[in-house]
Amino acid sequence: MGREVAESCIDGVIIEMVSAYGRRFYATKPELAAHRIEAIGYQVGHQLIERYTMERPRFNDHLEVIKFICKDFWQELFKKQIDNLKTNHKGTFVLQDNNFRWLTRISIDPSSDNNDGSQGSSSEATNLLLYFPCGIIRGALSNLGIPCAVSADSSNLPFCSFMVRIKA
Amino acid sequence: MIACVAVVGHQNNPLYLQSFTGADDALKLHHIVHCSLDVIDERVNNPKRSVITLNESYLGLLYPTESYKVYGYLSNTKVKFLVVTTDLDVKDTDIRSFFRRFHAAYVDAVSNPFHVPGKKIISRIFAARVSGIVKAFAPGTYG
Repeated sequence: MGREVAESCIDGVIIEMVSAYGRRFYATKPELAAHRIEAIGYQVGHQLIERYTMERPRFNDHLEVIKFICKDFWQELFKKQIDNLKTNHKGTFVLQDNNFRWLTRISIDPSSDNNDGSQGSSSEATNLLLYFPCGIIRGALSNLGIPCAVSADSSNLPFCSFMVRIKA
Repeated sequence: MIACVAVVGHQNNPLYLQSFTGADDALKLHHIVHCSLDVIDERVNNPKRSVITLNESYLGLLYPTESYKVYGYLSNTKVKFLVVTTDLDVKDTDIRSFFRRFHAAYVDAVSNPFHVPGKKIISRIFAARVSGIVKAFAPGTYG
């Protein structure tokens, strides 16, 4: 029933949102900017999961939910599945994406040794941007009844891993 | 004839309740819907006793009284959809397709960025769509 939008519009909106919160609204308080971006992601994930689980039968356990996030949910959002899923069977999962779609357009500053300022700002912007998918995952999981904490690690663009810690 | 439809959130908070009988019996319907919530909890938490499989969304007939029947449907996000009907012979397939459309309308209403999750649904478009689905629901017309 929906109309379609070019993907570059979504890229543009996300990049502009991260930049607005990071540089204009909370320029002096990056933790607040991160918190706001993560909260936006939370609401988006919350609403998206309602739509994507509509046709499915109900889940039996946490592992099925995480597998759904890795396969179907990621497929709907990023047109690919999570490449690698690790767990310690005690409520911690690591989702690894070898080529995270939203990071493919971010340039890596080549003069990172000389110019600490710009390298700092580009990785800071990347970190701020990664709060958004963390929020999406957290919103999706909590709407399915699994409270959790999600953090992202992107030391190696565009490879990205998300660590999900389920609260007992 | 459908007497009322209700959407209840996962903490048993009412999100939407609409009656279609024209009479002023909202309180009685509230009460019926509330009692049905207990039946849903029982069905979900004791799968061994009921015949419903663990991961089926459609819960079927929950609560038959002498004048009403209540059907339930549970989504993956623990949102419960309830239909109170006065008809005596309603086909399973009709109710299932009703719930499917009801769920689709709910998903669209919840995707509204101005909707606060957990608060009541105040969208007029949602109310109009639900009324349309209820009017289109006539047992026996789907063959």
